[in-house]
Amino acid sequence: MTLKHNLFLEKLLKNILLFVGAMFLLSIIVFVFSRLAPGDPLQAFYGDAIESMTTSELEAARVYLGLDGSIFSQYISWITHALSGNFGISLQYKIPAMDVIAPLIGNTLILGLTAYLLVFALAILLAIACALHEDTFFDRLVCKIGTITYFIPAFWLGLVLVLIFSVNLGWFPSSGAYDYGMSGNILNRIWHLILPLTVMIVTHIWYYAYMIRNKLLDENRKDYVLLAKAKGLTKRAIVWKHSLRNVAPTIINLMAISVPHVLGGTYIAEAVFNYPGIGNMSVIAAKCHDYNLLMLLVLITGALVIITSIVAYTINEVIDPRMKDAGGSTWEN
Amino acid sequence: MGELDSSLFEIVGPDYRTWEQPEQKPSLLFKLKQLPWIPIIILSTIVLGCIFANFISNHDPSMYYLNHLNEAPNSEFYFGTDSLGRDIYSLIWYGGRTSLLVGLLGTAMITILGITYGCVNGTAGTSGDMIMQRFVELFHSIPTILLAILLIAIMGTQNILTISVVIAITGWFALARIVRSEVRQIRNNEYVLAAKSMGSSFGHLVRVHLIPNIIPAIMFVVVSSISACITMEATLSFLGLGLPLDILSWGSMLSLANRALLLNTWWVIIIPGLFLVVTLSCITTIANCFRKETNKRPNRL
Repeated sequence: MTLKHNLFLEKLLKNILLFVGAMFLLSIIVFVFSRLAPGDPLQAFYGDAIESMTTSELEAARVYLGLDGSIFSQYISWITHALSGNFGISLQYKIPAMDVIAPLIGNTLILGLTAYLLVFALAILLAIACALHEDTFFDRLVCKIGTITYFIPAFWLGLVLVLIFSVNLGWFPSSGAYDYGMSGNILNRIWHLILPLTVMIVTHIWYYAYMIRNKLLDENRKDYVLLAKAKGLTKRAIVWKHSLRNVAPTIINLMAISVPHVLGGTYIAEAVFNYPGIGNMSVIAAKCHDYNLLMLLVLITGALVIITSIVAYTINEVIDPRMKDAGGSTWEN
Repeated sequence: MGELDSSLFEIVGPDYRTWEQPEQKPSLLFKLKQLPWIPIIILSTIVLGCIFANFISNHDPSMYYLNHLNEAPNSEFYFGTDSLGRDIYSLIWYGGRTSLLVGLLGTAMITILGITYGCVNGTAGTSGDMIMQRFVELFHSIPTILLAILLIAIMGTQNILTISVVIAITGWFALARIVRSEVRQIRNNEYVLAAKSMGSSFGHLVRVHLIPNIIPAIMFVVVSSISACITMEATLSFLGLGLPLDILSWGSMLSLANRALLLNTWWVIIIPGLFLVVTLSCITTIANCFRKETNKRPNRL
């Protein structure tokens, strides 16, 4: 029992170390990128006022924005501040970058998470339907629609939906996350989410459904399926109880790999529908060359993705004994 | 016993069967019939239209016809005009040049980057391989669009070359991964060992032994990355971060879409988008031909 406990702790520690290491590397890369940028951050922050400043004022401003010293010492001071939650001042909004982004993260998570779960729930259902009816008209139709829809640019689909459903029919709002003063109203939020969610689902579902369908078909060609069929199980029962279970680790892996993809889709959907989230903010920040804000956005996104992939790996180890590392946890303890 | 004269015997009976060698190579005609002709024809029409844009278009694409703002499709402006008074029909053909060029340039750079990195990664030792793989994974953990936004924020105003570079830098990771796994499979073969022991250099090894063997595996990814590059360019330009309005492309045409939504001028949004979607899906269908045949074992279900 204690041994098992230790193994779990060890694994947890290893994962945390992995996460910290990845974030550290990411922070270095992002920092160097942002300092490579042409143009003076001071200019971006103070605008034309910079021309009338004295040397000592300029020096003070540099210290204030953390721009003094070599790039190495700049990084050290930036990372120590970052660890205490201070990611510098947004050059555009003149308030701490964290304060700009904090209220937006929730909105993005609502849209991203809902889309993510819906995409995979629907993709699995669609994949099962296709696998049960392999090579029928339905299956071919779904695959055909999939290959074509997969390459419809997400932003254009969003534009077309806005054109049809909000400009001409007036059924759904074209932008925002909620109407003014109704941020607590769940129905109002859902009403605003429908169009962005549609875009996300339509542009992502086919690829994943196709991948899962192929995995299921591979699984259906194995001998144990023949055995199950010989036992007299129905097709439906075989797929749900046997094939799907064996494909589950692959699906979870796929879900982990897809996080950056779906998150990227969320960012585009946010920008098209002017949804107040971090994706929309990153476009605005890029237009204004607000590097502090962009650095924070990249770091948050990277953290989200790395955490999900670690979680997915751990879940896979739990549900699939075949994936366990050395350590002989099968019978030694 | 001497040699048997086979003409003395004749095999008879219900099981009598002659065995014929199956046709080994399908004929050229059969191969041609397998090609997806409809997408090829549509795509070549669009490509030719873009190449000969100056013969096809009936207006100057960068001319502002200020007394014909927001006109619906009519006999003079076949596809209508946008909110700046530009002729969309002419813009489509001239803009297609840029879009296709960005697609090809981006793909060329992605291919070079991906194959080089993948080959070096695949032939590297254990620790080198691990470091190079972690590096790719780290970049893969940031959404492509965010990475592109970051790069564009750093680089400032875009032109055709810089946007291709941005798209290539953000898009080569998947290809590098595939090349790496293919190279790792090939590198243990005897002929690679033989070439190595004969003293062939790394460059020679890659050129003569690795690349010809990985081409079938990466063809699909390479061809479909043309459409990925075109999509990326259009998305970035739409967001106002890609090509500016005066560099004509399908993406920069769509950057006027928000204004078109307010004015409810559908042709400004639908027509460039349709050209985009048709081109992309044609490229994808053609790319699908390069895919290896999936397994044809019987379904046990």
